[in-house]
Amino acid sequence: MTATIDADVGIIGAGPGGMAAALELARAGLAVVVLDEGLGAGGQIFRQLPPGHRARVPAPEPPSHAHGHRLLADLAASAVRVEARATVWDAAPGRLWFEQDGASRLLRCREIVLAPGAYDRCIPFPGWTLPGVITAGAAQVMVRGFGVRPGMRALVAGSGPLLLPTVTALLAARVRVVAALEAAPRRAMLAALPGVLRSGERLREAFYYARQLLRAGVRLRWGHTVFAVAGDGRVQRATIGRVDGDGRPLRATARELEVDVVCAGFGLVPSIELAQCLGCDVIWNAVRGGWCVATAAFGRTSRDDVYAVGEIAGIGGAEVALAEGRAAAAAIVGRRRGSAPPPAVERRVRAVRRAADAMLAAFPVLPGLFELADDATIVCRCEDVPRAQLRAAAAMHGATARAIKLGCRAGMGPCQARICGPNLQACNDAAIVRGGGPAFDVPVVQVPLKPVRTATILDAPRG
Amino acid sequence: MSGGSGDGGAGPGAVTFAFAGRSVTARAGTTIAMALWEHGTQVLRHSSRDGAPRGVLCNMGVCYECLVRIDGALVRACTTVVRGGMVVEPGGRP
Amino acid sequence: MPAADVVVVGGGIVGCAVVQHLARALPDARIVLLDRGAIAGATSGSCMGHLMVTPDDAQHYALSATSVGMWRALADEAGGFDYNPTGALYLADSADDLALLPQLQQQFAQHGDAAAVLDARQLRELEPGLAHDLPGALFYRGDGVVLPMPACSAMLRLAQRANARVLVQPFTTVTAIERAGDRVAGVVTAGGRVAARHVVVAGGVWTPELAATAGVPRLPIVPRAGNLAITAHHASPIRTQLLEIAYLRVAHGAAQADPLQTAVDGGAHAVNMQPQSLGGCLIGSTRQFRGMDRTLNRELLHRSLLRAARYAPGLLQLPIVRTWVGLRPYSLDKLPLIGPWPHVDGLWIASGHEGLGVTLAPVTGHLIAQQIARRECAVDPTPYLPARCA
Repeated sequence: MTATIDADVGIIGAGPGGMAAALELARAGLAVVVLDEGLGAGGQIFRQLPPGHRARVPAPEPPSHAHGHRLLADLAASAVRVEARATVWDAAPGRLWFEQDGASRLLRCREIVLAPGAYDRCIPFPGWTLPGVITAGAAQVMVRGFGVRPGMRALVAGSGPLLLPTVTALLAARVRVVAALEAAPRRAMLAALPGVLRSGERLREAFYYARQLLRAGVRLRWGHTVFAVAGDGRVQRATIGRVDGDGRPLRATARELEVDVVCAGFGLVPSIELAQCLGCDVIWNAVRGGWCVATAAFGRTSRDDVYAVGEIAGIGGAEVALAEGRAAAAAIVGRRRGSAPPPAVERRVRAVRRAADAMLAAFPVLPGLFELADDATIVCRCEDVPRAQLRAAAAMHGATARAIKLGCRAGMGPCQARICGPNLQACNDAAIVRGGGPAFDVPVVQVPLKPVRTATILDAPRG
Repeated sequence: MSGGSGDGGAGPGAVTFAFAGRSVTARAGTTIAMALWEHGTQVLRHSSRDGAPRGVLCNMGVCYECLVRIDGALVRACTTVVRGGMVVEPGGRP
Repeated sequence: MPAADVVVVGGGIVGCAVVQHLARALPDARIVLLDRGAIAGATSGSCMGHLMVTPDDAQHYALSATSVGMWRALADEAGGFDYNPTGALYLADSADDLALLPQLQQQFAQHGDAAAVLDARQLRELEPGLAHDLPGALFYRGDGVVLPMPACSAMLRLAQRANARVLVQPFTTVTAIERAGDRVAGVVTAGGRVAARHVVVAGGVWTPELAATAGVPRLPIVPRAGNLAITAHHASPIRTQLLEIAYLRVAHGAAQADPLQTAVDGGAHAVNMQPQSLGGCLIGSTRQFRGMDRTLNRELLHRSLLRAARYAPGLLQLPIVRTWVGLRPYSLDKLPLIGPWPHVDGLWIASGHEGLGVTLAPVTGHLIAQQIARRECAVDPTPYLPARCA
């Protein structure tokens, strides 16, 4: 295995966006290498069991997963090379340095397509650091990616379209879903409807979810959320209750449930760090998850030869990622051939983006949810910084994310502020969530993009 | 207690490793985090500041809650595939 | 904003120490601290917290030892910034280095202090994480480590406790220092004027441009960039703070490059590693004159990590979590500027500490406060008076 790999196009992320782009580029005769941090292709949404595993209990899948199977089959039959377990830690034009199985490697290419996806938005609440509190995404990875049952009695809480696939994944693993709580008010369902109706695909999915929940006797409770979790060294009880239209907990409605796993998901945050490292402009879009990579048609970023596809250009789901992956590939092929990419491809992107935006607009981040935490609640998990310390830091050093970091070390741990970064300013003063504009500081990016061993940095291939 | 069906007895495709001195049998190809979860072990380390037990949060390599120690290196349990004979210690103070 | 008695411009470690000492010396004065960004948001948020006693001459020794003593007192009084009296190991890597150890020891002895020369075996006993082929080292007990950012907050909290009229205002840019003839009149900010009897410029690398607004010819302070890296918690290969002997030459010796030719300096590096209280390790240090550029110099970082791994091979397996760049305010004559500007009554300079800003912040605060209050100083302020640059 050589330390340096050469390709025409380097793709980050083997999810729907990355796979779609890779397949189109390979069909056009280009040499494509895809780097993915997971154990194999599929991304988060189309997670597959590790090779050789049969699920102990076959888990029914939503209809959209058929796309995933097709993409994976096509990928396996193609000339696309997938490098799994690859953690990218530095980048420059046409250069992607990654750590893989302890080795330090470099991918050299001309164009880069970024499709690294997104990660769960966490909102802190008392007890959220107990073992057994996992994200909505984590639950799906457990079930679909490993055939592991997260628990026996689950609480699912959060906001946004991801709650339903989380509930159905748990049901498919024969977990009893004790409660499924959507913090948005019931009218959000009506607000989301146009977006769902715009897409035949989404409509089919919606019916699938409705059927699964009905069959299991699980009702999605609107205007509810988790207030706190407790237990002796692990999750044993959860307190849930109603919230008002702003997400503020109505403490009088609190009641307790016995659970052994809590799956919390309050939407998704685009993983823009690599794009920032490459110098791409970012733009604030509250509907699409906050700071996103700024893209023009066909996924073009502000950097020549860098394309942004799927969640990092704004949360939009698999349908959007597929369309944007194809569009970016078309643009790259077109540019190499000196011809314009077909406009129909970009029209498709715009149509699916409209549908996705319409649905997501119904689930904004609710400012009141930041009142779930109390002064003792840990906000930065890596550095164990409770909210009281965070507020003291803001009072003395200033109320920007950077000032808060300086004052209490929040955001300085190994997750590099991915988990707590979106919450630093909001936990100090939730009013910032209400503001329409980009009041949240742009995340500061630095190298390494993810923690890597010193040996990886020292052994990095030059060139 | 959460976990899988708990029958990960040694057999084809099974792998045995140690975590905090205890023997754990897992399906080959799975990650340390998932092997331990199936085994009923959710606590992967203790917080430096207050000793509170901590474990998997995101299960996709983003949050770094699941750091464990192998051969002097700190790695994410949720992205590291199990290997037979691995000696894994909790993250946190060595 | 109402008139102040003293405005301190610059909320880094030096500015915060000045405010702390002023608040104690003048408990009824109205003291205002302004910074265009966050408190500790510039160099003080990008540095190592090494408390380093420098024994090279009597005055340096007096200044640094006094200041380190003040840090100890601050830790006793306030705490909250992980003060750790680790001492420091000066590591030899060659016969030449080894020959310097007794000389270094002698320097400490001359000031009535003590340092121990360790042979290879003693070194391994003290620090088992080090490479096995190191011939020896000097261990000096008087050095320590602090976290600079929380130290700033601790100093300001003490200031506010001593003086109820201390006002701390980050995100307030001072655009000019105003004069009325030969006196300071106050400062101009985006939000309006603040009249003041005294203005202390503790602006780090921005001190020359700030002072210039008061008619001070460009002060001889230039930025000297440093790259740093830090490992994850519980991932330190060492327990003691350490430096390699070459550090003394690189940091305190003649600059290997012309400070004013920022296009050509390839940079120098010398190992300085600090264990943190939660078990991570801070790895420095590099030095490069490149103007205000704070982009990471990957080449220098590489050399720095390689050298650090030579001394502590366990580092190779440990994860690096962050890297960053800070700008040290380097004074061209290698002495900080602490004291009154001679031609403008009420204008004070507190800057130019290069890599000793954290070490010397308390004594700097003391010297400024005592001189403003017209009281005696614990060390002779003469070598540091800005008048020498006039």
